[in-house]
Amino acid sequence: MSIRTAFVVLCCAAATAHAEGKLALYNWGDYINPQILEKFGKEYDVKVSLDTYASNEEMLAKIQAGATGYDVVWPSVHMHDILSKLGLLEKTEPNKLPGFANIDKAALRAKSDPKGEYCVPYAWGTVGIVYNKKKIPQLKSWKDFFDYAAKNPKKVTMLDDMRETLGVGLIMNGKSVNSRNPAEIKAAQDLILKHKPNIGAFTYEVIPLVQSGDMHAAHYFVGAMMYVLEKPDTLAYVIPDEGATMYQEDICVLKSAPNKANAKKFQEFMMRPEVSVLNTIQQKNGTVNTKVPALLPANIRDNVNINPPASVRAKLQIFEDLGADLKVYDRAWTKVKTN
Amino acid sequence: MTTLAGSRRLRLAALLTPVTLLLGSCFLVPLGIMALYSFLTPGLYGGVEWNFYPYNYGRVLGAPLGDVEDFDPVYIEILLRSLRLAGTVVVLTLAVCYPAAFWVSRFHGERKSFVLFLVTLPFFASLIIRVYAWMLILRPTGFLNLVLESAGVIDAPLQIIFTEVSVVAGLVYILLPFMFLPIYASVEKLDPALVQASEDLGATPWQTFRRVVLPLTLPGVIGGSLIVFIPAFGNFVVPALLGGAKVMLVGNIIEQQFLAARNWPFGAALAMLILGTVLVLMLIYVLRIGRGGVAAGAKA
Repeated sequence: MSIRTAFVVLCCAAATAHAEGKLALYNWGDYINPQILEKFGKEYDVKVSLDTYASNEEMLAKIQAGATGYDVVWPSVHMHDILSKLGLLEKTEPNKLPGFANIDKAALRAKSDPKGEYCVPYAWGTVGIVYNKKKIPQLKSWKDFFDYAAKNPKKVTMLDDMRETLGVGLIMNGKSVNSRNPAEIKAAQDLILKHKPNIGAFTYEVIPLVQSGDMHAAHYFVGAMMYVLEKPDTLAYVIPDEGATMYQEDICVLKSAPNKANAKKFQEFMMRPEVSVLNTIQQKNGTVNTKVPALLPANIRDNVNINPPASVRAKLQIFEDLGADLKVYDRAWTKVKTN
Repeated sequence: MTTLAGSRRLRLAALLTPVTLLLGSCFLVPLGIMALYSFLTPGLYGGVEWNFYPYNYGRVLGAPLGDVEDFDPVYIEILLRSLRLAGTVVVLTLAVCYPAAFWVSRFHGERKSFVLFLVTLPFFASLIIRVYAWMLILRPTGFLNLVLESAGVIDAPLQIIFTEVSVVAGLVYILLPFMFLPIYASVEKLDPALVQASEDLGATPWQTFRRVVLPLTLPGVIGGSLIVFIPAFGNFVVPALLGGAKVMLVGNIIEQQFLAARNWPFGAALAMLILGTVLVLMLIYVLRIGRGGVAAGAKA
């Protein structure tokens, strides 16, 4: 649990010491504006707690182990489908609530939930490249990234993530990031392996290193915009020309949730534009609420890397659940990491 | 007599039962579950299906498999690499701690307590935070390069972070206390009179060390080596953070199986193979060195 999360839990616990009900959230680390939890707790007189996870699989493993006491989780779209398939989600019917009109219907991406009967779309973002402008004046594409790495070995990093990093290989070869074709996946493996000697590390913990100039460019998600907007002279984030992956998380209520009524209220609360915008301003990612852009400050609303134009959006791909074919990626990734 | 022995036995049973139950339920049962899981079919989304599936071990060791799984030498390579790394860490921690233990044992009173307190001090901070601190020390613009550059030792920053060197450095740092404490305990117990006697009887310093000091401190060396080797072998945090995840070790591959690949049985099988490897190596180590030490001691 991060320090910030601990603080939120403490402050909300104090603010609602006499709360009637409870709400237990289980979200990615640093993925919700603490003000929202405070606001919800006050308005509904509910004691809100927040635990965090670092990957979809970590969350799935915990939920599968049995009743966890959690009410609300934030799976990515493909994990939303898996949770549905495993019968772990409660049908709360957020689509029958008035706030649902604000939700962009294109954001109903989960194949198992096309009408929004279970979960509310939360936020979305891209996975691109963050770089230090003092070291690299301009970087536009994955080709630029690998060319730079070839001339400046060990000064770039990629994510320590099986599907994201093999996904870059697939994108550069013009293939789908959801390919099930072993030959295509092998080609992506070979592409990453070819560049591996020039890659400094596979890691998520890279923003301070790019900021200090220890690393010059890094494969990273749009969350980097938080730092880019603070230090626009040093840092830049770009969605590569060849295309990129995108992700979206949805707000889902668990079938085993002990506080279903409050969880449902929370789904409704998150659809309010004035609540949702608090999150977009703090997280600096893409919104799924059609009323939010009008409420955003210009530097976020007009930023093409946060809100890319349609031509760029057309080049974004989202991960799907691959079922048993995931093992092809596991074997390829083990080879990338070992050789 | 009989009643006395009986009450003694009763007391012993009463004292041992809680420990036995605790070890049984918190150690043997989970271990049994892992052993069982390693022979079951992986569930599509993690967990297991209750069908017999004997192919996981063959995937690593290369037994005939049919079409279900492929043998891949990559896993043996990862195992050997992890063994080599853990061995290096044992040798380095030993080289640092053995002389240090003698040095500390010469202190007296408060000074000694203070040094021992310093040795255990790192345990007060979280392991993850300490590893992050090492990232700050080792990175190109970090503390180490800054000092070396301003001292004129190097012209350009050394690329230490995200190499195997930094993985070894991180593991040595984390595991030093585990090597120091058992060695120190056996050095403390070493009776100076025995060393003096050996010298009085005409032994050279090397003979005294080889025949008296080493055999008597060997239990600490063996204990320390084991306690360092085992966590160094399975660690996955340090290779991921300081090694930049470029070097895959057994701990990382097991983590990958349980999380990203959602293949619990294969993860369990790899864990069982580690356990087997460690047990065999421990047996060899303890028997060889233990016996060698006793023999050398007896000859003296």
